[in-house]
Amino acid sequence: MNVGGAVRALISFLIFVVLHYTLRPLLGWRAPMDFLVLALLLASVRVRPATAAVIGFALGLISDSLAPDALGAGAVAMTIVGFGASYLKAVFFADNLVLNAFFFFLGKWVFDILYFVGEQRVHGFELVQQLLLWSPLSAAVTAAVGVLLLFIMRPLLEPSPA
Amino acid sequence: MARAIRSNTRVDLIVLTTCIVLALAARALPNTMRDPVATGMRRSFLAPLVLLQERAEKGRQSLLSADAKQTYLDSLSLGSMKAGSLEAENDRLRKLMGLGSRLRWGFIPAEALHGRGVRDETTVILSAGSRAGVSRLSPVIAPEGLVGVVDQVDPTMSHAMLWTHPDFRVSAMSPDGTAFGIAQAHLTGATGGYLLELRGVPFRATLKPGSVIVSSGWGGVWPRGIPVGTVLQEIKTTEGWARTYLLRPAVNPSDVYSVMILRRDRVAKGLDGVWQNLAEVDAAAQRIVVSGDSAAKSAALAEAAARRAVLDSVARATGTAPAPTTDSARAVTPRPVPVRRPTPVDTNARRDTTRRDTTRRDTTRRDSVPPPNLPLSPGVMR
Repeated sequence: MNVGGAVRALISFLIFVVLHYTLRPLLGWRAPMDFLVLALLLASVRVRPATAAVIGFALGLISDSLAPDALGAGAVAMTIVGFGASYLKAVFFADNLVLNAFFFFLGKWVFDILYFVGEQRVHGFELVQQLLLWSPLSAAVTAAVGVLLLFIMRPLLEPSPA
Repeated sequence: MARAIRSNTRVDLIVLTTCIVLALAARALPNTMRDPVATGMRRSFLAPLVLLQERAEKGRQSLLSADAKQTYLDSLSLGSMKAGSLEAENDRLRKLMGLGSRLRWGFIPAEALHGRGVRDETTVILSAGSRAGVSRLSPVIAPEGLVGVVDQVDPTMSHAMLWTHPDFRVSAMSPDGTAFGIAQAHLTGATGGYLLELRGVPFRATLKPGSVIVSSGWGGVWPRGIPVGTVLQEIKTTEGWARTYLLRPAVNPSDVYSVMILRRDRVAKGLDGVWQNLAEVDAAAQRIVVSGDSAAKSAALAEAAARRAVLDSVARATGTAPAPTTDSARAVTPRPVPVRRPTPVDTNARRDTTRRDTTRRDTTRRDSVPPPNLPLSPGVMR
């Protein structure tokens, strides 16, 4: 990835992060979209697995800092999700919106599973309900929003012709 | 090539393991260490993001509470619109309670139900009847004064004639008892306001604008001392032997909603002290007027005495006979009870003085001869 592509990817990443802290609380949905996961996934497919793991770790700490009781849970989840996304980027690197949507959905769902299990705040039926109902819903919303943003920001995210 | 790939994979795994270990270490931190770390991040490089989130939360709260705020504002507006009428009603009820506490007994509270016709303000239906003790010709009063009289009685309700009715009459007088007359509605046609007129006032009795007129108690229907109205002005009528005054009524018929009906036994006992304050205010006003007249008269007498002294000095200096001293003495010395004499007077100054004496005489007569059974305490008019 050349410098221009890296700058564009960085701008897209920052836009997603800002959206996470503005649009998400403004909408306040019960099954919210997760722009941090989207930012992580979009960044992970462009970098090496080690870099993706560091990015995931940093994003996880950022999100955890606003919920100190779960400090570390988000970092673990995002590190794994970022590393996995970067490791599997060959599978999902196709320019296919449906594959990307599934990629986002899977990334968010895996993140939620790792996060809620690591957080250990929700137990029993509530945990099952969260992981099998609200997390898939949130993952679906995240995937839909991710695809929409991918479509909107395609000029910014596409690699420049060599 | 294969070694490089294996090396990269090994680095990736090492970094991954390190990140996971660090994350787990952060997860395993005790609360006393976890909070400072999170707080430090929030206060440093995450501060802009925290600020963005706060504003977004506030925006969401504003959006969510917009409907509730609008509903609250609507309710507040509606409440403020009702507040005026509620205050007026509250004031009216307070006055009614005050009247009730002064009457103490012998009254029946009732609601006045107005008719719906155009200018149908001459009669009202009262929500109390013979079962409550109402009888025909029972006086109907409000805290401000006279309202009307009951003319028909049913078991549960009654019909009252307001003072605006053409057939309504009440014997009235000034509180000091110097002027008596019959108060009735001032019928000036459909466009006229609700005013009273006091007819048949003796020609010698003058009433100043603002004087309070109360019921006299003559006739047996109305007890003495209920405010009827205040004098606005004298009006000209064809009756040359008596004066007629226009009165502003004490009670506006359109504002009558809660009234009190006096029972016959209460009427027989009188209403001494119920409107005492009103009478005292009127008496105080009269005292101010009288004292003003006395001061003006004293000044006029002093001026006349000085003029007379100058004339006497001039006469002595010129050797002519001085003017008779009787006039001077008469002019200077105030007479306690001057008598109107038909003898002609020689100068305009004397005529004015005589007129002032006449005014003073009326005042003196009011002070010195209090009317019997007035609700005023002795000495109020002095």
